[in-house]
Amino acid sequence: MSIHDLTPGGRPARWLYGLATGLLVFSGMAQLPMMKRYYLADLPGMAWSEDFFITSNLHYLAGALLLALMAWRLGLKARQAGGWWSWGPRGAWGWTLLAVLMVTGAGKVARNAGVYLPPDLFMALGLIHLGAAMAFIFTGLGSLIKGRKAEVQGRQTA
Amino acid sequence: MAQNISRRAFLKTGLTAAAGLAATGLALPQAVQASQGGELCTLLDLSKCIGCEACVEACREQWQAGLPDPAGPIPRSLPPRVPIEDWSRRKDVQDRLTPYNFLYLEHLEVPHQGRQVELHLPRRCMHCSNPPCSNLCPFGACQTESNGAVHIEQDVCLGGAKCKNVCPWHIPQRQSGVGLYLSLMPQYMGNGVMRKCHRCLPLLAQGQAPRCIEACPQQVQSIGPRREQEGKAEALARDMAHKDGASPEKWRDYVYGLMENGGTNTIYVAPLPFKEINAALLQDHQERAEKDRAAEQKAGRRPEAGNLGRPHLGPVKDSMADAKNLTLALAVAPLAGLAAGLGRFLGKTRKLAASAAPPASPAEAQKGGLS
Repeated sequence: MSIHDLTPGGRPARWLYGLATGLLVFSGMAQLPMMKRYYLADLPGMAWSEDFFITSNLHYLAGALLLALMAWRLGLKARQAGGWWSWGPRGAWGWTLLAVLMVTGAGKVARNAGVYLPPDLFMALGLIHLGAAMAFIFTGLGSLIKGRKAEVQGRQTA
Repeated sequence: MAQNISRRAFLKTGLTAAAGLAATGLALPQAVQASQGGELCTLLDLSKCIGCEACVEACREQWQAGLPDPAGPIPRSLPPRVPIEDWSRRKDVQDRLTPYNFLYLEHLEVPHQGRQVELHLPRRCMHCSNPPCSNLCPFGACQTESNGAVHIEQDVCLGGAKCKNVCPWHIPQRQSGVGLYLSLMPQYMGNGVMRKCHRCLPLLAQGQAPRCIEACPQQVQSIGPRREQEGKAEALARDMAHKDGASPEKWRDYVYGLMENGGTNTIYVAPLPFKEINAALLQDHQERAEKDRAAEQKAGRRPEAGNLGRPHLGPVKDSMADAKNLTLALAVAPLAGLAAGLGRFLGKTRKLAASAAPPASPAEAQKGGLS
């Protein structure tokens, strides 16, 4: 039995977090007009990825999953101090980026629903969302690589 | 040398024009000025349009000269998926939308009740109430003002054409070889700037009427607060339906833009149903597109895909409807998650966590997670 099985939610929670962030990254990148330009939409079964409305809906659904997971975690935390978590950001930087992404994302969601936002504010929200997403991706990749290296080193020294 | 059209230059040109117009007394009606801050909507009574194209000429005179042209050879995209779209040597084209022509006229003969009805339609951006072009622009270049005008910031736009892709009418048009992308990675990102009607935003900001409205000798268009214009459109459409021999309930068949894409700030009212107009329009577009594509091939250019700058008048569902519905999912998801976290599910996980040993090693503890 590994720690992932013992963590509240176990492996399913970990995989759901990975699924939500993975889908958010992919569908977010697909909002840039690049899927067709770089032939990704030409790959078998990927034609849908050039449809901005489909990928936008996917972004919403993955966002809802992430919000549910985070709120679930918050609920557990409120009832149970401490505890080990095998998923989610591990440092203040990761949490800050996630918070920025959620706040700016909420602004964009409000605009999409028809709430008027001044153009300069909306542009700032979009650019901050994009910048924070890029930072989150690189931080996550760095963390994964670092974690994998530490795991390999741990096995070698064991 | 290419001119750079900045926000300042854009406003300066507009303000100069506004001053000129103010001097001639051609300003927005007081009621419209008083409504500044709310959405303004244009209403087009197509029964009045004689197809003189004074609106088209006025628009071109006002804005075309200030639009920058490519300074030199236009960089080719890598990989070569995105075609170069250069209209700088075809500025005279005014029978379709181009990056140098924001308004054109359709001249149609529509078969209706056993006769041919002559109809002329000014076509430009519909200025949707909740525009997907503006909402989904990844860089915020396509913007919506509080007065309902939807415009593209020429200093910010990279020309990715997402706005054209998500627009139900594919209105924005691309000019390659100009804009911010040239200063970034022109071969790999962007392809120019997107352009379209901005409803004479700088003039509106000064309380002046858009040029197409001001120049029209027939007063085809009027501009005013959206709610007022909706009421006028309904009254006019009911009158048109009555004159056409249709039942009053059919008045919506004679109006376009009121409900399309969730509602636009451009409403057309015609003396015959739009279904019939659109059928004639699409047939005409197909014939003209074939000629255009043949001409493009003859000129050695890659034939353009899509509607060739000529928007349809068919039914359009609200592009942002899914986003609006999914907003509810986003609102409910954290509440459901929180309830689950605080609820009975916690009992089981608490027992499991209590019996769990601490992580065996830092390496194992580091496993998983994204950041």
